[in-house]
Amino acid sequence: MNKSDILADGFWHNNTIFAQLLGMCPLLGVTTSAINGFWMGAATVLVLLGSNIVVSMIRGFVPRDVRIPAYITVIAAFVTVVGLAMNAWMHDMYLILGLFIPLIVVNCAILGRAEAFASKNGLVDSVLDALGVGLGFTFALMLLGSVREIFGYGTWFGYAIFGENYPDFLMFILPPGAFIALGFILAGVNIINRRMGSRAANAQPACTPAAHGVSEQAS
Amino acid sequence: MNDVEKKSGGISRDMVMMVVALTVVTVISAALLGLTDRVTREPILEAQRAALKRNLEQVLPPHANVPMDDVIQLDADKKATPFYVARDASGSLLALAWEVVAPDGYSGSIRILIGVLPDGTLHAVRVTDHHETPGLGDGIVQNHAWIDFFSGKSLSNVRWAVKKDGGDFDQFTGATITPRAVVKAVHRGLEQFAAERDNLLAKAAGK
Repeated sequence: MNKSDILADGFWHNNTIFAQLLGMCPLLGVTTSAINGFWMGAATVLVLLGSNIVVSMIRGFVPRDVRIPAYITVIAAFVTVVGLAMNAWMHDMYLILGLFIPLIVVNCAILGRAEAFASKNGLVDSVLDALGVGLGFTFALMLLGSVREIFGYGTWFGYAIFGENYPDFLMFILPPGAFIALGFILAGVNIINRRMGSRAANAQPACTPAAHGVSEQAS
Repeated sequence: MNDVEKKSGGISRDMVMMVVALTVVTVISAALLGLTDRVTREPILEAQRAALKRNLEQVLPPHANVPMDDVIQLDADKKATPFYVARDASGSLLALAWEVVAPDGYSGSIRILIGVLPDGTLHAVRVTDHHETPGLGDGIVQNHAWIDFFSGKSLSNVRWAVKKDGGDFDQFTGATITPRAVVKAVHRGLEQFAAERDNLLAKAAGK
């Protein structure tokens, strides 16, 4: 794959949310507003960059049998670093997202990238993959957060766009709204993909490294 | 895959490599964490102090001292609840602020900072930490009119329960548990103040 394909693949064709339906926990949990979605995405990008870089660097050194514990240790370390940094320098956002930051460890999308991409590719490609996948994830979180915030509170990034007297549409703020909005977004993505005539997203919605490996090799 | 086990007895080279690899990875990770902890420890404490300061300013009347550094405690025990003291320019007591915890929120504990005047009247109340449902229970933070209703209330001039339970405090549509927990916790705080009032005021004056 050439460099721009890696980016495009991570951002769109194999988008964690739109194509693979992974990382649903942070997606549905924090996307009550666009800004929450953005910072959760940003935290994930940092973790993904760190883990992809390190996993790519140690890929020749870690035996196959113990690669999963090794990768998880690396991921957990970066998650803790990002959590501490956020607590220190973005305290207000940490108070909102704090609960979900440690859960990035179990976002199988990240272990998925380590296993399916970084452990088989060089440093530069792994960085590009982390950026593509991470930004695609951030984009999805922001999109869902925007939809829920606009319909739920009548604001976008905190700015009132339907005037001050918008009656809160509670359902979009509560979990059912997340599922409904996500359903419409996925339908929209499928329409776009069909129009573009691009290949159907072929990743499987299973959270196993094996499934990742298979879909990665197939693509 | 498991060619390690084929060699019974004796330790294979693969097995040594596994131990070495995992050891190296964990040691480097631990070093990274230690370093991050050192770098972030001070800023985190500062951020927490800044957040506490902001909340204290909101629950205390205008004052001339620094309540965050003017602390009294009922017990000598370091873990006892700190009471933050607000004083005027002459040093006399204006109000006390401290944190009460509602252990019975809808999801986890709710931490509440309350500011109380010497006569046992609430100056203001702010929720400092909670994990209630966005859009429902988090009205205790988002709904300013609701939290401001506490101001001016004392043990005697209001019925300390939500309306559903025959009190004077509004509940939110679809969320009664959260307001109920907050009302109960603030009420407990005022009762504690009433019980310890002389002790607290004497400590604040004697400082």
